Amino acid sequence: MRVLVCGVGYRFLRDNALGVHITDTLAPQASNGVEFEDLGYHPVGFTQNLEERPAYDRIVFVGAVNRGRIPGTITTYKYDHVLPDIKEINERVGDSVTGSISLDNLIVVSEAFKALPEDVWVVEIEPGDETWGEGFSDPVQAKLPEIMDTVWNLTRL
Amino acid sequence: MCFKNLPIEFDAQGNASLKPGVANPYSYVETPAPTPIEDDPERMRELFARNGAVRRVDFDPVTRVAGALAFHTVVDLENRQVMETASMATLFRGYEIILKGRDPRDAIFISSRACGVCGGVHATCSALACEMAFGIKPPPMGVVARNLLLSTEYLYDHPIHLSLLAGPDFSEAAVRETNPEIWERARNTRTRGAAVHGYELMSDLMTDLTPLTGKLYLEGLYYTRLAREAYVLIGGKYPHPQTVVPGGVSTTIDASDLNEIMLRVVKYFDYGRKTAAIWDDLAEFFYEVNPKYRDIGTRPANMIEPGQWDDPYAYDGTYANADAWGRERWAPPGVLVDGELRTTSLKMLNAGVEEFVEHAFYEEWTGNGDEFYRHKTDPSGNPLSPWHPWNKETIPKPEATSWKEKYSWSTAPRWDRMAMETGAYSRIWVAAQTGPQAFRDSPYIESTGHSVKIHLPKAELPNTEIEWKVPETWGAFERNRARAYCILYTAAIAYDNLQLAYDLLKKGGPDARMSTPYEMPQDHRIGVGLWGAGRGYLTHHLEMDNGVLENYQILTPSTWMASPKDPFGNPGPYEEAVLATPLLENYEKPEDFKGIDVLRAIRSFDPCMPCTTHMHMDGRTVSREIISCACGADEVHEHH
Repeated sequence: MRVLVCGVGYRFLRDNALGVHITDTLAPQASNGVEFEDLGYHPVGFTQNLEERPAYDRIVFVGAVNRGRIPGTITTYKYDHVLPDIKEINERVGDSVTGSISLDNLIVVSEAFKALPEDVWVVEIEPGDETWGEGFSDPVQAKLPEIMDTVWNLTRL
Repeated sequence: MCFKNLPIEFDAQGNASLKPGVANPYSYVETPAPTPIEDDPERMRELFARNGAVRRVDFDPVTRVAGALAFHTVVDLENRQVMETASMATLFRGYEIILKGRDPRDAIFISSRACGVCGGVHATCSALACEMAFGIKPPPMGVVARNLLLSTEYLYDHPIHLSLLAGPDFSEAAVRETNPEIWERARNTRTRGAAVHGYELMSDLMTDLTPLTGKLYLEGLYYTRLAREAYVLIGGKYPHPQTVVPGGVSTTIDASDLNEIMLRVVKYFDYGRKTAAIWDDLAEFFYEVNPKYRDIGTRPANMIEPGQWDDPYAYDGTYANADAWGRERWAPPGVLVDGELRTTSLKMLNAGVEEFVEHAFYEEWTGNGDEFYRHKTDPSGNPLSPWHPWNKETIPKPEATSWKEKYSWSTAPRWDRMAMETGAYSRIWVAAQTGPQAFRDSPYIESTGHSVKIHLPKAELPNTEIEWKVPETWGAFERNRARAYCILYTAAIAYDNLQLAYDLLKKGGPDARMSTPYEMPQDHRIGVGLWGAGRGYLTHHLEMDNGVLENYQILTPSTWMASPKDPFGNPGPYEEAVLATPLLENYEKPEDFKGIDVLRAIRSFDPCMPCTTHMHMDGRTVSREIISCACGADEVHEHH
């Protein structure tokens, strides 16, 4: 069984760096078909990379996404593979290839190019501070152990 | 004359110095920006009362790239003109502050993160700045490897822009929606380049530019992949390479690696020929339909280009010899004013740069040309302005947006106090004007003084010579056309460097080493990396002491082009180009206006962020928030 955990976000934008922090931290534990990858690059490139690899049984995306929830809120869901309309997909491809890195873009573009397996999970955290700099805001810092456990548990099929 | 506006003069030997007898020679009196229409209630009432024909239209992408872009306009839909523009970089990146106090080598990996697409050139520019500061140079093979990295990076970058960003604006869907009469004409117009690209009718070509399904769109995606495959053979990863270091490249390459790269590079011979023919056809077709299309995105051909692809035996990493090694580049440096070469000196290019913040969210750091500033000259004794990047301090000062005062996180970079644009097109334009005597010897590229001729071996298409000519008019279509020709220009450089790499491998010895050992200096040093990105001008200026960075300044192509107005009253390039853009779109009612001509103008600059359809019209919002959840969700678990 092969599982890929993708950390999405920008380093140096505080809570936005959470995804790559998670994959950096868990990477030494990669084994038995569990891989961790820094997805601080654009989704079209990711899609093309996936096409070259043996298929994954599960992909787990983790990152900070601002949706107006209470900072530090962890949201975990299984992706239902429903895409927006073609115009929005095209806009997201445009954003992607000009360097925008976001969890939503990554999932939409990868799905649009049919690169994802059926079993996809998303772990989001609501950021408290996405301004430039290093270190997490207090609410996100407090939830680090929990989100780490959530992601790690999803690597077990 | 190199400079017309800066207080610099030259002696008979060409040495630069400040004009004598002028106190605070760089100081200036600010020209107030024009009062925005919205700040003039009487004018606003008068204009906005005209049947809704005058309205505010904002293009707001809300992306997070190397400085996200929003664009404000006031348009007169009755007279089909743009009345007011303001370009806003909506994000402060702060890399200059993050890098302070760090090991200079960290900048290679940290600055790469400034962009999710062109991180490789940021890393390279940073390594060049370190080399100058450390006093080291790579062995020839290290330079050639770097040239291969950057040529494959551009072979990735140009198809992205042409197929995925600019191309859709000329696709069947876009043209039918905005100018159905042009689509009808396309259905009955034969192309000129059918023998090369295979499309008999303009309409067929436009259909295949359609996003996600069009063959040309998908082909562009394929070629971005091919180039990245070539890049990672040396860079390890892309867009954040792991092998770019001061003094060369921290990996080895063998004939097998070179073969793998060659197999990919030769595929761009035909793709480059085909893409040039496609953009020739698009430009000529639209010009025939309406000559006013030449004016979409027009502005004076004022351009700045630091050049790239070093000669492995000329480049020595020193500032002292920068003019000499700069002129040996496959893409030489240069500044164009009204389309004419003003200088090819890297030192004069560097000395002419200033960054102003009157309309940006930063604090002014000089006291308007205060005579006490750190670097009054560059390492060769050429005068520098207090607003030069080596003297710049990044002091963010966020405040409310005001179109008259401060409205952008982009500074206003200027060369000789003029707004400059930059891109693949400035690269090929400077090369064209360099002329046969001054342009480096290359079996594949020839500069005639008014054009660039590219001769490449036969692939599947015949080995016909391709010639890009300096255009008679300058605007959006010519930017795209020139960028299309730059695919072949870049492929020729990659091919040339591959052959050099094979020769070096065969020869072996010190020249075939990949990098130079060095020790970190602990004394005070400065350095600059001058190497254009796929999208144009890029410099990294650093100052270090005690082994750590004291100051680090990154100047990107989008900072030049998305810049707000300067203190002399000049708009930035996007602002100027959109202001000159006629609205040729076919609309009956103001509500039908899509803004396609404005978007074509902005996108032709290849901004680091797309202006897709993020658009607000008066109270009517037709934009989307990138952060809105598009993911369907089941089995949702929330933990507060």
